[in-house]
Amino acid sequence: MKYNSFGYLIGEGFRSVAKQKKMTSASIIIMCATMFIFGAFYLIGENVNFIMGQVESQQGMRVILSDDTTDDEITSLKTKISQIDGVNQVTFYSKEDNLASIKEQLSEYLEILDTYDEDNPFPDAYFVTLTDLNLNDSVQEQILKLDGVEEIVASDDTISSLSSVAHGIQMGTLGLLIILIIISVFIISYTIKLTVYARRKEISIMKYVGATNGFIRGPFIVEGIIIGVISAVITLGIIGLAYNSVINMMLSSVVIQRINITLYSFSDIFARLLIVYVLLGIGIGITGSIISMRKYLKV
Amino acid sequence: MIEFRNVSKSYTTGQEAVHNASFNIEKGEFAFLVGSSGSGKSTLIKLILKEEEPTSGNIIINGKDITFLKPSRIPYLRRSMGIVFQDFRLLPDKTVYDNVAFAMHVVRATPKHIRRQVPMVLAQVGLGDKAKVYPNELSGGEQQRVALARAIVNNPSMLIADEPTGNLDPNTAWDIMGILNDINLRGTTVVVATHAKEIVDQMKKRVIRIDKGNIVRDEKGGYDSEV
Ligand SMILES: Nc1ncnc2c1ncn2[C@@H]1O[C@H](COP(=O)(O)OP(=O)(O)OP(=O)(O)O)[C@@H](O)[C@H]1O
Ligand SMILES: [Mg+2]
Repeated sequence: MKYNSFGYLIGEGFRSVAKQKKMTSASIIIMCATMFIFGAFYLIGENVNFIMGQVESQQGMRVILSDDTTDDEITSLKTKISQIDGVNQVTFYSKEDNLASIKEQLSEYLEILDTYDEDNPFPDAYFVTLTDLNLNDSVQEQILKLDGVEEIVASDDTISSLSSVAHGIQMGTLGLLIILIIISVFIISYTIKLTVYARRKEISIMKYVGATNGFIRGPFIVEGIIIGVISAVITLGIIGLAYNSVINMMLSSVVIQRINITLYSFSDIFARLLIVYVLLGIGIGITGSIISMRKYLKV
Repeated sequence: MIEFRNVSKSYTTGQEAVHNASFNIEKGEFAFLVGSSGSGKSTLIKLILKEEEPTSGNIIINGKDITFLKPSRIPYLRRSMGIVFQDFRLLPDKTVYDNVAFAMHVVRATPKHIRRQVPMVLAQVGLGDKAKVYPNELSGGEQQRVALARAIVNNPSMLIADEPTGNLDPNTAWDIMGILNDINLRGTTVVVATHAKEIVDQMKKRVIRIDKGNIVRDEKGGYDSEV
């Protein structure tokens, strides 16, 4: 006799969504709006992270070595630097390399460098790139402690401002997410409360014939999930269109082309966003319906 | 099967609806619960259904003390009882068939079992031809038959009815009592709270009379005390 009445519960859930058309559409619209705002922040955050990654692989620091370092010391420094947490690549540029690169940049005024070949004033240096820009400070600190290192030249400002922007966006998205989740749960629970109220007679009969609370909750949870998933799909469509047109505008702008950075295309993040939205929709739906049922499940 | 041991019930308003009630209804028995309005009949029934908690005393159902039953076990207790009310309590947007099948869905019966069982009980209460009809297309007596079918569809061991004929004319009331009697003859314990004096007088069943919360009489016979 025990039987999993899944089909029955799902049927009842859809029935109630169809019956409460007005409230259901109202809560779908509001859910979509909240999900859209969240999605916008999410996409900006993802892109900033993406850009950070690109910058990280390009950005680095020049570790200037003291003039009196021996070749052996130079080699062992490379190993030591590579072992520091957060270091990605270590590339050696000798005095001569550095002079050559300056010559290249100053091609028109080469005469001022005439004497440099005999007495090269440029130091040997390592160019160090990072795996994570947040580790910038600690890496610098550790390198400076090593023997043979004279100083570090780096564009700290770009690095730290970028990572603080990324951090800010992450915190902002998190805060926003929490607020939006609370709003959505409240709205869904209100919608389902109306259904529960409309079906209070049915619920009381169910209790008299021996329905468990879990069984009574079933259709309402299904209703919440339906609202959540519909909202997720609609928002995904809207945000996809909006994102693509914004991205196309940005990518064709001169600034972005100049600094040589790419952005995610919507298809790159579609799957991730879909999962986030559906989980969000289902989670909000379930929580909202459980909240709205509490009162009616006593007795 | 249904045993009360010194049960008292006071509502939060301070009103004592049942005072020190003790009785034992055996398996297979048919018992009427009578008494004037406000005497505490419905309260007694709510105590059996575990819709209300006794203030003191113990209630034993099917050999189990349900006085301190966990709320999560209440649904399983109720599956052992069919319940019928004066106001039928049918779902207006479901057909007769679905109203009865509903009670089986709730206990997670298989679709096959539901299809087999529902027509059988509908026939038993004399509604074999009304399966596809909605409650508002039925007379009061027919609606109460649907409620009866729903109450017995899961084969409960007892049937509890609170004024099942309260909204019906005397002839229809007799029909309903007849069905209750049939159900009892098939082995189900039946408890009926009622004001229907003539029916009680003629059926010669056990009568428990309650007056201002006290059980003042408990014996086979008519509606009024002749002792
Ligand atoms: N939920 C409640 N809260 C407070 N008092 C109640 C409640 N339910 C019933 N009572 C009181 O308890 C007493 C018994 O009521 P009960 O409903 O059991 O009577 P009854 O015998 O079923 O009457 P009737 O024949 O009119 O249905 C009455 O005085 C009533 O006012
Ligand atoms: Mg009553």
